[in-house]
Amino acid sequence: MPTITVNGQSIEAQSGMSLLQACLEKGIFIPNLCYLKAMTEPPASCRLCFVEIEGQPDPVAACTITVADGLVVSTDTSAVRQLQRTALQLLLSVHDIDCKNCPANKQCALQDLAKFLKVPLKNKPTETYLREPAIDETHPHLTYYPNRCILCGKCIYVCQTRHGQSSLSFAKRGFDTVISFYGALEIDQQACDDCQQCAQVCPVGALVMKSG
Amino acid sequence: MNDVLTSEEKAILADIQQYLSESKRDRSRLIPVLQYIQARLAYIPYQSIALVAAHFNLAPAEVYGVASFYNQFRFNPPGKYPVKVCLGTACHVKGADIILENFERKLEIKEGETTPDREFSIERVACVGCCALAPVALLGESVHGNMAPSKVEGIFTRIQVEKEMEARQKSEK
Amino acid sequence: MTVANHQALKAVFQRIREQADQRKTADTDGAVPKITIGMATCGIAAGAIETKQTFEQALAERRVEAQIYTVGCIGHCYAEPVVIIDHPDSGFAPIFYHNVTAGKAKMLVRQFLIEGDPCFEHIYGAMETNEMIPSVTEFDRFNQEVRVVMEKCGHINPEEIDDYLVSGGYSGLAQALQMAPEDIVAAIQHAGLRGRGGAGFSTGRKWALAREAESLEKVVICNADEGDPGAYMDRTIIESNPHQVLEGMAICARAVGAHQGIIYVRAEYPLAVKIMTRAIAQAETMGILGRHIFETDFNFRIKLFQGSGAFVCGEETGMIRSIEGYRGMPQHRPPYPVVNGLKGQPTVINNVKTLACVPPIIEKGYSWFRSIGTEESPGTAIFSVVGDVVHAGLVEIPMGVTLRELIFDICGGIPNQKAFKAVQIGGPSGGCLPAAFLDTPIDFDSLTQAGAMMGSGGMVVMDEDTCVADVSRYFLDFTQNESCGKCTFCRIGTRHLLDILERITKGEGQDDDLQRLQDLSLDIKKGSLCGLGKTAPNPILTSIRYFKEDYDAHLKEGRCPGLVCRPLIAYYIDLDKCARGCDACVGCCPTNAVFTTSTRKKGIDQQLCVKCGECVVACPPEYDAVRKVSPPHLVPAIERPAQPENAEDA
Repeated sequence: MPTITVNGQSIEAQSGMSLLQACLEKGIFIPNLCYLKAMTEPPASCRLCFVEIEGQPDPVAACTITVADGLVVSTDTSAVRQLQRTALQLLLSVHDIDCKNCPANKQCALQDLAKFLKVPLKNKPTETYLREPAIDETHPHLTYYPNRCILCGKCIYVCQTRHGQSSLSFAKRGFDTVISFYGALEIDQQACDDCQQCAQVCPVGALVMKSG
Repeated sequence: MNDVLTSEEKAILADIQQYLSESKRDRSRLIPVLQYIQARLAYIPYQSIALVAAHFNLAPAEVYGVASFYNQFRFNPPGKYPVKVCLGTACHVKGADIILENFERKLEIKEGETTPDREFSIERVACVGCCALAPVALLGESVHGNMAPSKVEGIFTRIQVEKEMEARQKSEK
Repeated sequence: MTVANHQALKAVFQRIREQADQRKTADTDGAVPKITIGMATCGIAAGAIETKQTFEQALAERRVEAQIYTVGCIGHCYAEPVVIIDHPDSGFAPIFYHNVTAGKAKMLVRQFLIEGDPCFEHIYGAMETNEMIPSVTEFDRFNQEVRVVMEKCGHINPEEIDDYLVSGGYSGLAQALQMAPEDIVAAIQHAGLRGRGGAGFSTGRKWALAREAESLEKVVICNADEGDPGAYMDRTIIESNPHQVLEGMAICARAVGAHQGIIYVRAEYPLAVKIMTRAIAQAETMGILGRHIFETDFNFRIKLFQGSGAFVCGEETGMIRSIEGYRGMPQHRPPYPVVNGLKGQPTVINNVKTLACVPPIIEKGYSWFRSIGTEESPGTAIFSVVGDVVHAGLVEIPMGVTLRELIFDICGGIPNQKAFKAVQIGGPSGGCLPAAFLDTPIDFDSLTQAGAMMGSGGMVVMDEDTCVADVSRYFLDFTQNESCGKCTFCRIGTRHLLDILERITKGEGQDDDLQRLQDLSLDIKKGSLCGLGKTAPNPILTSIRYFKEDYDAHLKEGRCPGLVCRPLIAYYIDLDKCARGCDACVGCCPTNAVFTTSTRKKGIDQQLCVKCGECVVACPPEYDAVRKVSPPHLVPAIERPAQPENAEDA
C-alpha cells in the first residue's frame, strides 16, 4: 500500500485510489463538487479539489492524481485556497441565491463550501450573471432549475449507471450548457418514478421531484 | 414536442430512415449521421433525433446533447436565403459587427433567427477564409466581399428584382 | 525488410511514377499557351470561377487554343484572382497577373493570346528572370520566403495525384518504407521538428512515445480543425496540395506502427473536404494508401472525419471525444493520447503543417531541415498575415526572421501611410505585441517569451486606428462562445472577463477593473482543465502589459484612442467643409440620421446615428467633411431645424 504525506501527516492509501478519495477517507476534507466515489474517470470539471504536490509548480486537482508512494501533499496552502475561493465565487455568481425558498437549504453543497472556504454567498465584486430563468418542466417527474445547477454531472452519472443509458444529458455548450430532458416524454415513466436517484444526488436542489 | 414538417420534409425523413437502416450502429457514426440529416433537411428536427436515438440505442437527450454542442447543427429551419456574416479577426477589425447590425436592422431579426416567412435567416460565422476581402458576408453560397452598410441594401434590392423576374416568367408561362 | 524487397519497392514506385509521367505528357501539349488559375477558397471568393468561365468562353468564341490549368493557392490573397499565363510563342516568360476580373480575362485573351501584347500595365511580374519584364523573384514578397510545406502549393493541380507524383511526391514515403521504423522516428527527432499547431511540442518525442506504447492498433490523426478566426493556412494547404499531408501521415503511421488514420477537417471547409476525399481515393486506387502500400506488407487506411464546428475540438482530447461520437469536451491529461487515445488506442495527433513537413525531411535528410530556421526552432513558419497590411496572405518564412522583416519587408508594411500599432499573433490563445517588439525573431520560444505564441499561425497587423481593448474583447467573446462549458473557470470565468471588457469598451468601466481582470485571468490560467481555458486570458494579459494607456483612456477619460469603440465615439459634419446642396451622405445613411441645416448644409442627428461610418466613405474626398471624435461630447452642437425645409415633399 502506498504511503503518502498529507499536511505533514503520514497516511496509507489503497493503491489505484485517487488522491482525493484517499484524503476524504482519512477525514482530510478537500472541497469537491463533481466527484463520486464510484467514478472510474472523474470529470475533474468543478475545479475545487486543488492540492499542492511537492515538486509541482501549480496546484493540481486531487481527483486526477492516483496515489503513489512518497507523494507529499498540502491541502491548505494560500495558492490552493485562492483557486478554490475563485472557483466557488464563480459558481455562486451564476447561482440563484434564494436559500429560503430552495429545497436544498441547509443541505446544500454550496452553503457548506462557502462556510468552509469563508466565502460570502453574495459577493459584490463578482456580480451575478443569471441565465434566463427558464425552469424546465418538460419532464413528467422532474423539475430542472438551470439557475441553481452547477453542472457537476452527478445526475447524468447515476442515471447512466442505474439504467445503462441516461435520459438526462448535458446540452448546448459553454455558458449556455444545461441539463436536458430532451425527449423525456418518450421514456419509460415507471422507471423514473421508482428511481429518483438523480434528484437525490443533486447537491444544490437543481433537480427536484415533482410533488404528487 | 414534434416539429411541424412540410410534406417534402416528411419524404426526406423517410429517406433518412432508409439511410439509417443501411448504416452501422457504431457510435462513431453518430456525428456523420447527424451531418447527413443536416445536409438533407438543413436542420435537425425532433423526429429525426428520435430516429437516430433509436438507431444507436441512445436516449434522445443524449443525441440532442451531442448535436447541440456543435455549431454546425441547428434545430430550427433556416431561411430560403441564409445570410452569414463573417466575424473572423480580419473582418472584425474592419467593422463586421456593423455589417451584422445592418442585416439585423433590415430584416428585423436577430442573429440565429429566421424571418417569420422563412425567407431569410442570419448567422454569424467564424472565419470563412477570405480575409483579404474583409469584411465578408455570404448570401447562400455567394460571397460578398468588402461589405459596407450601403451594400446590404443593394443585396436585398437584387433579390427583390430576381424574385419579381421569376414571378413574371412564371406568369408568362 | 530485405534488400530484395527494397529493390522491388523501388521498382514499384518507379513504375507508378513513370505511368503518371506518361499520362501527364499525353495531357499537355507543349506548344499551346497555358493559363494557370488559382482556385482555392480565397481565389473563388474573389471571383476565380467567373474568371475561369470567362477565359473558357473567350477562348471558345475566338477559337484560340489554350490549356486552362487549375491550381490551389500560392498564398498571395491580396492579389486574387491570380492568373499565370505561359505563352511560349509570344517570347515572354510566364507572367503573373493579379486581380484578374472577367473583364481583364477577356482582354488578356484578345490582346495577349491573339495579338501577343502582354498588357504591361496589368502585369504583376514575370515568373522567371528575363530581360523584358521585372521578375517576381526580385520582390521581397517572393524572394524572402522559403517554402518547405507550401513548395508545391499553387504549382500543381490538387485534384490530380499525377501532378504530385511528377513533381517528386511520395518519394519520401517510398524512402521511409525502406527504413526501419525506429530510424524514421530518429530522423524526425534529429530534425528537431516541433508541432506546428500551437505549443511546439517535439514531434519526434511524440512519435517515440507512440512507438513505445504497446498496442496492436494505433491511430494517426491529422488535425485540420483550424478554428482560429483569422488563420486559414491548414485549409489552403489541403486545398492546394493534399497529398503531401497524406504522405506525412503514412510516414508517421509507418514510424509508430499504426494502420488507421483519420483526417479531421472542419465541415465549414467544403472545398478542402472535397479535395481531400478525392486525394484519398486516388491514392488508394494507385496502391499508395490502403492495403499493401507499394506492394509491401504495410497497410494504412485513411478516413476523413468532418468536424462539426467547435473550436475546442482542436484540443487533442476534445477531438478524440468528437470522433467517438460524443460532445467534444476535453479530458484531463494524463493519460495523453499517445498512450491512451481514440477508443483507448495509442494515438498520434499532428497538425497539417507538421505532417506536411515530414516528407521533405525524410527525402532531403534532417540536416537539410536543420539548416533552415534556428537551432531551437528548425524549419519554417507559416502565417496568414491579415489586417492592416499591404500584401495580406499566406507567407512561409524560415524561423528566426523578425516580425519587422515579415510585416514591413515581405508583406509591404501598413497601407495608407498609417503608423503600426500592434500585431496580434496566435489568435485567441496568443497576444498583442507593440512596436517595441518588432525586432523579436519569429520562433516558438521568442514569441512565448514576449507574451504571444506561435499558436496556429494567425497574424493580424493593426494600425493606429485600432483599439487594443476592443481586440481583447473580440477574442474573449470568441473564447467565451467556444468554451465547452465543462469546467468552472473557463465556463464562468471567461464570461466575467468578457463582461468587464464590455463595460470598459462602453466607457462604463470601474476603477479596479484592470486589477480584477488581471487577478481573474491568472486564476483562470491556473485553474482551467484544458489548454483553451489556460490560454484564454492571454490576449488580456499581454494587452494590459503593453497597452495599458489604451485601457486607461477608456476607464479614466471615456475616450477610445483608436476611435473604434462605438459607444465612445461620435460623428459630425464640419460645416466649414461641407458643400452646400451636396447630398452624398444623406443617401448612404441607413438610419436617416443626416439632416439638412438651415444653411442647406448637413448635420448628424446623434440620437439616430448608429456610427457605421458610411457617411465618411460617401463624403466626396474634395470636401472630406465628416469628422470622428472621442469622447462623444466633443461634437459641436448642430441644431436640427424643427421644420424640415422640404416638408412639402414628405
